[in-house]
Amino acid sequence: MKHLLIAPPLLFFFAISVIPLLFTLGLSVTNTSIGGSGSFIGLNNYAQLFSDQFFLRGFLNTILYVVLGVTAQYWLGLGLALLVNSMVHGKRLIRLLILLPMMIPPLIVGFVWQTLLDSRYGPVAGLFTGLHLKPVPWLTDPTLGFVSIVIVDTWQWTPFMFLLLFTGLRTLPKEPFEAARVDGASSWRIFWDHTFPMLLPASIAAILLRSIESFKLFDIVFFITGGGPGGATNTLTLLGYFTSLRSGNLGYGAAMSIILLLTVVVLATLILIVVRRLMARADKAGQQALDQFLAEPLPVKVA
Amino acid sequence: MQSKFNLPKITRWVLLAVWGLFAIFPVYWMIITAFKKQRDIFQGPFLFPFLDFTPATQSWERVFGQDRDDILKGLGNSLLFSSVSALIAVVLGAFAAYGLARYTYKYGPYRNNDLSFLIVSQRIMPPIVAVIALFTMFRTVGLIDSPFGMILAYTWFNLPLTVFILTDFMKRIPLDIEHAAAIDGYKKFAQIWKVVLPLAMPGLAAAYLLSFFFSWNDFILALMLTFQKSSTLPIVITNMSAQMEPRWWLISAVGILAIIPPMLAVIVLDRFMERQVLHGGTR
Repeated sequence: MKHLLIAPPLLFFFAISVIPLLFTLGLSVTNTSIGGSGSFIGLNNYAQLFSDQFFLRGFLNTILYVVLGVTAQYWLGLGLALLVNSMVHGKRLIRLLILLPMMIPPLIVGFVWQTLLDSRYGPVAGLFTGLHLKPVPWLTDPTLGFVSIVIVDTWQWTPFMFLLLFTGLRTLPKEPFEAARVDGASSWRIFWDHTFPMLLPASIAAILLRSIESFKLFDIVFFITGGGPGGATNTLTLLGYFTSLRSGNLGYGAAMSIILLLTVVVLATLILIVVRRLMARADKAGQQALDQFLAEPLPVKVA
Repeated sequence: MQSKFNLPKITRWVLLAVWGLFAIFPVYWMIITAFKKQRDIFQGPFLFPFLDFTPATQSWERVFGQDRDDILKGLGNSLLFSSVSALIAVVLGAFAAYGLARYTYKYGPYRNNDLSFLIVSQRIMPPIVAVIALFTMFRTVGLIDSPFGMILAYTWFNLPLTVFILTDFMKRIPLDIEHAAAIDGYKKFAQIWKVVLPLAMPGLAAAYLLSFFFSWNDFILALMLTFQKSSTLPIVITNMSAQMEPRWWLISAVGILAIIPPMLAVIVLDRFMERQVLHGGTR
């Protein structure tokens, strides 16, 4: 009976995660193309990756999207959570309005922002002209294209950070804050001495979940820039898709996606280790909260 | 917790208003675009209906006329795949979660926590890794572009999530209730089905809504595993926009249709979570 209960998820795990992973791993050492079969070519695909400018750019982009996007989303989300938490009326309505971008399918986010940022008929260009500034080629300039993607990703996912941090704030005990206020501490000090350390577990959870999701960035870029101009906004998922399905080079695309998987696993582990180190030095309240977090699932279970 | 910032009330409202404008404007833009003509779109950014441009219902006429079959197909597929896969993921997830909460497993070195981790760890893997292989495998067995294949893929996609959410819920259900049911002569399966699952209803509902939400918003699985027959709404939209001069008015109108279901899901979900927090942060 008990084996029957757990069997389906394990079956799915093996059938659609382990076997495909091994399959992709197998593909990555062949030159299989979409039309026919391929032959074993050892680690040639991987060797080729390291001299492939498109791949290297995509690799760097993926990491930069994660670092820049998640940082921006964390601080904005934290700020919003604090603002809304200190409100007395209208919390529910404001909260739903803040969550709005997160509810929208990323693909739709993509095409709406594509029209918003268009340099000929988009309202952002209109705003720049209205302010007598030079119109900015948001989507056709390599650097600005990259910045645009970070902005759009931040637009969509700051709400997620807000949600986790806001829920975290509401489960904190009240006493330490009242005591500190009676002692005459400034809001700034109360935030850094109490709120921030006590909120660390929720922060870690939010940052980790967001980072993992960020590595998969695909839909928004697919629509807004399509990876261009000249591969300047590519991500590894996007490259993997174009290489394997559009160009039909399954083996090479498989090698790319294996590198992506390794990067995610290594960086997620690193983040956890660094965070645990930091926490070990943090005050006792934070430590206990972390233990509690690690022992139990997240306060809000959005994965 | 009341960590009142000493920022003046005005400043707080201004900051919130600035973010609110940033958050809402793109949605507003999409809604008004759905009421524009091609000319109104390409002649520059018009922001205010009736002042800048005359609202037209051209897009909606196409949605309910010429393009109705395409859109209905996408909408129907999206609804079918999302709702059915969410249901399967929740039922299978609930049983597994019950097992993990109540029994001790030991498969070689793997115990309960390791099993949970294995299942949840699938969410860490970028979908592209599995999907390149799935594409090849599905093609071999004829599951490409089939409803069954898509439901299978989405169930896989959401099962880790439902197991994760529901394990916590199952742990909170008191054992005594099952003992009572056992005394009343219920077999184990009936105990779970008739006694435990109804008690876990809020958790099941939350897991269902989240699963639905994620399948509905998926793009990459549908992009790689469907061509025509089983295209979901996102793929229909993608095909519409793959033109030299995309008809943004039409795409926006379909986009509005695509936003409604996930939005309803989140609003209902928000109610659940609010109740949870009110009940003293049930953690």
